Amino acid sequence: MGDNMDKVKKTVLHGWHGANGANMALFGNYDMPLWYRTGAKAEHLAVIQGAGIFDTSHMAAVSVKGRDARALLQECLSKDLDSCLGKNKTPLVDGRCVYGVFLNSDGTVIDDAIVYQLQPELFMVVVNAGMGGQIAAHLVKNAGARAVIVRDLTDLVGKMDIQGPDSGRVLQKIVKDPAAVFDRLVYFSFKGGFDDLNTAAPVQLLDGTPVLISRTGYTGEFGFELFMAIDSLATVWSMVLKAGEDRGVIACGLAARDSLRAGAMLPLSHQDIGAWPFLNNPWPFALPWQEDNATFTKDFIGGAALLRGGWDKYTLAFAGFDPRKIAAGDGSFVTLSTGEKTGTILTCTTDMAIGREEGQIVSVAGRKGFEAKGLCCGFVLVDKNCQPGEEVILTDGKRKIRVEIRADVRPNRTARAAMATMLT
Amino acid sequence: MKELNELVFGKGLRYSNDHEWVSESGSTRKVGVSDYAQDQMGDIVYVELPEVGATFEKGEEFGTLESVKAVSELYMPIGGEVVAVNEDLGDSPELINQDPYNNWIIEIKPANLSELDDLLASDAYRELLKG
Repeated sequence: MGDNMDKVKKTVLHGWHGANGANMALFGNYDMPLWYRTGAKAEHLAVIQGAGIFDTSHMAAVSVKGRDARALLQECLSKDLDSCLGKNKTPLVDGRCVYGVFLNSDGTVIDDAIVYQLQPELFMVVVNAGMGGQIAAHLVKNAGARAVIVRDLTDLVGKMDIQGPDSGRVLQKIVKDPAAVFDRLVYFSFKGGFDDLNTAAPVQLLDGTPVLISRTGYTGEFGFELFMAIDSLATVWSMVLKAGEDRGVIACGLAARDSLRAGAMLPLSHQDIGAWPFLNNPWPFALPWQEDNATFTKDFIGGAALLRGGWDKYTLAFAGFDPRKIAAGDGSFVTLSTGEKTGTILTCTTDMAIGREEGQIVSVAGRKGFEAKGLCCGFVLVDKNCQPGEEVILTDGKRKIRVEIRADVRPNRTARAAMATMLT
Repeated sequence: MKELNELVFGKGLRYSNDHEWVSESGSTRKVGVSDYAQDQMGDIVYVELPEVGATFEKGEEFGTLESVKAVSELYMPIGGEVVAVNEDLGDSPELINQDPYNNWIIEIKPANLSELDDLLASDAYRELLKG
């Protein structure tokens, strides 16, 4: 018993979570808040309608530095760093970041990541909780004799997310020179730095704390991820909460984080992506497809296996007709409307910001005063390429719920909103 | 999450090991979930209720409570016939979180009153939660 207790990790905000009535649970190796006294529903809605903050310092970061850093990442990451930004697919530059996956040579997923180019020879790779060591080792193994230094920064980086339409209005109050910070801070760009992870121009909070502010997140809504020295996190957490008080900004736990990302159709590593080839899923943008959709723009680990094909299952997003769910796991499965078994449930949770009206999905963000009852949503892994609109049945052998395969789930998402509209 | 000393225990109730309560007197009995149960579950967003007239044995599943993340089965603390269900829970499932004792889930006519003896009195239920 003693060994297991040593393995449970806590973030620096663990005491704060407990003191604020959090219902805690293990995520990876970390004891994390599922929800606070506010409850998962209010926390989910806060992000949709105002803003919420998340302790995400359980996530891991790896720095990759040196003359061959970019080449190493180009070999290991699915995204083509030479052809990835915007409609014209221009190369990655300082201050921009991209989403991709690290694959095994058989095309299965090690982890997904966001890769930040701080300088031409300095990158920060942000991965999931507990994965820092594995990703660092994977990069070192493939570096060979190349001129590159890889550092696992697990537990050394403070991180918190602020997500929701009011995020910019809140952060404006606590950064120095907000006009400069938010100028041209487009989706998947970042500014600032901390410790040795620096870009050309620093970003500081009013008290001088250096931060890296990135226009990214895991909710599908407008917002930011803040990175800083681990010793700064507790102070910055309180600072953001205080600055957001007059807008009703609240701390949000992992239950709301999961329901928000599911409604935004974002995958959870080792649940929606994992020990099967990264193909036939809602995230083809993570792969460097040529326009012909038949070849890639570069070679990378796992790429050849994906092109060989032969993977005959499909990862599809679904949304139900009410909040009822069937838990993913042993004993649950997916059938076609005919009753024929077709696959398994990967994720099933409830997006409390949406509901159905005459069959259409409506969000509280799209219609003022709409009372959303909530809809179950998530992903299934099935052997038929069901099209959007087709229904399948989720079941645990006893209960059955019908759900609809979807091209998109929660409408009116704000992640890509024009900055100018989000600051006043 | 509530501490043990913050939990509410209803009056005149007996509790099952599954954190449900049954009212102690009357020819029919109301059934609900304890404050501990609703606190652990979090926000309840949907309640699946049985048909009025259905009969279940003690321990049989009679419905479910859906939270944002999970589904919790409801089991009969004693056997009997369902004579009423709380219709308010259709529109407002969150009533169970707000007041789990006044917002009962089903009302039953017990098949065998001696089954109540197997349930826990308030003090014994409190002891169970300490453990």
